[in-house]
Amino acid sequence: MSTTSRTLSSTPSTALHSAFSCAWCGRTASAVADDGTQRHHCPSCLQSPHVPDPADGGSGDCRGRMSPIAVAVPRTGDWMVIHRCARCDGLTSSPTRADDNQLVLMRLAVRPLAQPPFPLEAFGDL
Amino acid sequence: MPRRAKNTRRRARGARRPQRYKDVLHSQGGHRGHAFRCAGCRLEVSVDAPGTTHRNHCPTCLVSLHVDRRVPGDRAADCRARMEALCMSVRPDGEWMIIHRCVSCGELSANRIAGDDNPLALVRLALKPLRDPGIAQRTRLAP
Ligand SMILES: [Zn+2]
Ligand SMILES: [Zn+2]
Ligand SMILES: [Zn+2]
Ligand SMILES: [Zn+2]
Repeated sequence: MSTTSRTLSSTPSTALHSAFSCAWCGRTASAVADDGTQRHHCPSCLQSPHVPDPADGGSGDCRGRMSPIAVAVPRTGDWMVIHRCARCDGLTSSPTRADDNQLVLMRLAVRPLAQPPFPLEAFGDL
Repeated sequence: MPRRAKNTRRRARGARRPQRYKDVLHSQGGHRGHAFRCAGCRLEVSVDAPGTTHRNHCPTCLVSLHVDRRVPGDRAADCRARMEALCMSVRPDGEWMIIHRCVSCGELSANRIAGDDNPLALVRLALKPLRDPGIAQRTRLAP
């Protein structure tokens, strides 16, 4: 289970000019976001292939579908997306980019409150 | 706090992640005195957790210890550092899962909530993204 997801292109020197096609939603996007930072997931569906970091004991070639399962808000910095691999159950976290699909991010953010394990009516103000 | 009757659906789908079999220590009731001191809030915590086979986080502050490597309950990791509740996730069957992150090595793990977890702590965790000041910008859905 690795904790950092690797970028969508493996060689940084070519990444700046390369594009990738999402294996799941078909969207073609640049490997680098508008602000010049590397993408870790598709900006439309926020999914990515699982490339476990060998440094973390990963095989390096799982290629399973990593689906977003949560958003995390670090004390500083931008939102992170938590991904889980559908094939090996590995978990990763990766930073969001400015042009990531905000609707999908918001859906992830509100999902726990939409499906609470107990009635929320008991909580007046937090 | 009453819990919603989602159990049947939950059982039917089964856990996606392998879970270690419930061992005799818990089921026989002979080790009810077993407890540990929470690495987060220092409270004494009983290992028996309603609704789960083993307790993997403090019901008061939700802090955990990095002891499992691959399968919840395998106790195979030698890190032993504190794992803090990072955010809340929801399984396809609707069950809330706490995403823990190890403060030492960064490892992530997903853990089911327990029946006696502090509901206020759980809701606070679930609310975290919605309390982010930057959220207004995100909901401005310019094309
Ligand atoms: Zn996509
Ligand atoms: Zn995988
Ligand atoms: Zn605690
Ligand atoms: Zn650790």
